[in-house]
Amino acid sequence: MEIGDEQVGETRVIAPRGRIDSVSSSELERHLVARLDGGARRVVIDLAGVEYVSSAGLRVLLLAAKRLKPPQGALVLCGLGPGVRTVLELAGFTSLFTVEPGREQALARASGAKAP
Amino acid sequence: MSALVLHVRPRDGEPFRHALSGEAVVLGRSSKADVVLADRYLSRQHARLFLREGSWFLEDLGSRNTTFLNDRPVAQPTPLRIGDVIRLAESRIILEGPGGGSASPPVGDGLTGRADEGLPDGTLFRSATLLFTAPAVPGEDPGGLAGRLRFLNDVHRALAAPMTLESLLELILERAFGQLKPEEGAVFLRDSSGTLARVAMRRAPGVTGEPLYSRALAREVTEKGVAALVTDASEDPRFAKAESIVSSGVRSLVAAPLLDSDGCLGMIVLSAKGRVHIFGESDMELLAAIASAAAMRIRSLRFADEAAERRLLDRELDLAHDIQMAMLPRSFPELPGLDVSAVLRPARSVGGDLYDVVAADGRVWLLVGDVSGKGVGAALFMAVTKTLFRAIAPGAASVAEAVGRMNQELARDNERAMFVTAFAARLDLATGELEYVNAGHSPTYRVAARGGFSTLPGLVDPALGAVEGHEYRAHRLRLEPRDALLLYTDGVVEARSGADEEFHALRLEGYLASCRDVPAERIVQGLLDRVEEFAGDAPQYDDITILGLRWLGAGIREEP
Repeated sequence: MEIGDEQVGETRVIAPRGRIDSVSSSELERHLVARLDGGARRVVIDLAGVEYVSSAGLRVLLLAAKRLKPPQGALVLCGLGPGVRTVLELAGFTSLFTVEPGREQALARASGAKAP
Repeated sequence: MSALVLHVRPRDGEPFRHALSGEAVVLGRSSKADVVLADRYLSRQHARLFLREGSWFLEDLGSRNTTFLNDRPVAQPTPLRIGDVIRLAESRIILEGPGGGSASPPVGDGLTGRADEGLPDGTLFRSATLLFTAPAVPGEDPGGLAGRLRFLNDVHRALAAPMTLESLLELILERAFGQLKPEEGAVFLRDSSGTLARVAMRRAPGVTGEPLYSRALAREVTEKGVAALVTDASEDPRFAKAESIVSSGVRSLVAAPLLDSDGCLGMIVLSAKGRVHIFGESDMELLAAIASAAAMRIRSLRFADEAAERRLLDRELDLAHDIQMAMLPRSFPELPGLDVSAVLRPARSVGGDLYDVVAADGRVWLLVGDVSGKGVGAALFMAVTKTLFRAIAPGAASVAEAVGRMNQELARDNERAMFVTAFAARLDLATGELEYVNAGHSPTYRVAARGGFSTLPGLVDPALGAVEGHEYRAHRLRLEPRDALLLYTDGVVEARSGADEEFHALRLEGYLASCRDVPAERIVQGLLDRVEEFAGDAPQYDDITILGLRWLGAGIREEP
């Protein structure tokens, strides 16, 4: 899996590409945890390049949401394809995530959020 | 660089080579693929190589297990280079040049030049095995010979001690340096894909720079099992091509294969730049002897490592499997009006499916769940979920309350954010009243006694363990006598056929049309049979759980 990673102002944008399955999800988990441990508090996860998320991948997104729960931080997801959106809905997770269509909106949302 | 050779090492078959030709080549398990690999975890058409503007590209064909290039998943068509390693499921393909071997060195393998270039005439090769049986070189100093034998004996004894591969390589280089006094030295080993790479190096004090050795020399030594000697390369006109033998100004070199009865594991090379020390034939013999002793020890270490790793992995999977199976009920409550049956078919890698049926006060509680992820962690989370269900459900006033309390326990201190999707329900055996909660799980079907089937209505709440303090919403409906319920996990609808098709809810529904007023055991077994027939020999990636329940009506015993 390739994981794009850039800092935009105060927000860290992480863009995994490919499938987030039980194998690649541990790679994404290590990457995210390293960023969170490193102090990232405003995070956008851009899923535009992701065609599939398994339940193991969902767990990693949930882990990020838990650690960035307001007011400790802000997590915004964007670029969700129909497949990824369905997986979130089926697990009953839609209400747990702040979701924006594109990266620009997600960045605006993350930078506007109250976070330390 | 369109001339490429695939060195294919399938999981379940013998390695072979395939020279790329034409415009495109499909790799897969299917006999219709251009290159067929014996690997049961492969998709039928797994990946494709194609020629674009003179270069070969690799793309994944939407395979179940994805395609990896040098251990990175291939998300889009990616250009290939000689030396690249493609991984499909548990098979490997190494890209070679037309002459075999890698022509451009992968970074950091410690080799240079092309494998098929000619070696200078002055290089002396000797069969490493013959070296041991040949009579001593005439004129050999007997004192020196005794000294060398003592030295070898000493090396053998040192190698007998327990040690890691790293310390073994270090020991070999250290002893070789002590006796043969080179300036630089290195050990090369083949990895599991057969590629040779430097695994240890050593320099005499004051020597700088990194020694690079000729790929052609490495090939000669490791493929033919010969020891090699190069003397004073820089002054001999025959060594005008010395750059290809040894770079960085090496004048003299001695190399020996790491040979044991099963083949060649790699090689050891020593070299010198200065005029102080020039290697001779007796040095080559001694190095061959050291290499042979080292090879046997490396082989035994590798066996031990691989066996230990396999045992550990097998043990982990066995443990997860045992935990999961031990938690499942072996029998169901026998109550008037109740006809229930369930099955769980675990996947090889062990998911975390679960089911349970508990009776209390004339009511029966049902649970089917699927834990995120796989392995021991998932199995333990499954065990906790089921324990909580047994402890909480029978005493709870409602399904929403029971599920809410289970969620509270699972969500607390859940730092790894594990969760379990679950469908929980309670059926009143006197009235047929059903109360249920869907926590992020697949919808449950009702097969009506009067005909037809439908999914149970209602909103989906978050999976258990995900949101601390979540208030779960229960839904209610009343079953008619002889109505049936079918609960299941994703493993059913996501089962894959050999043609990589999904079983899908449509096939499940097609089956349910034939389940009107059918005993629970036959509903469950019939569905399992259909899924298994559909999947054929295709690998099962996820646990399959099916629970069927039929309510016969108040106080009615199961029909004879």
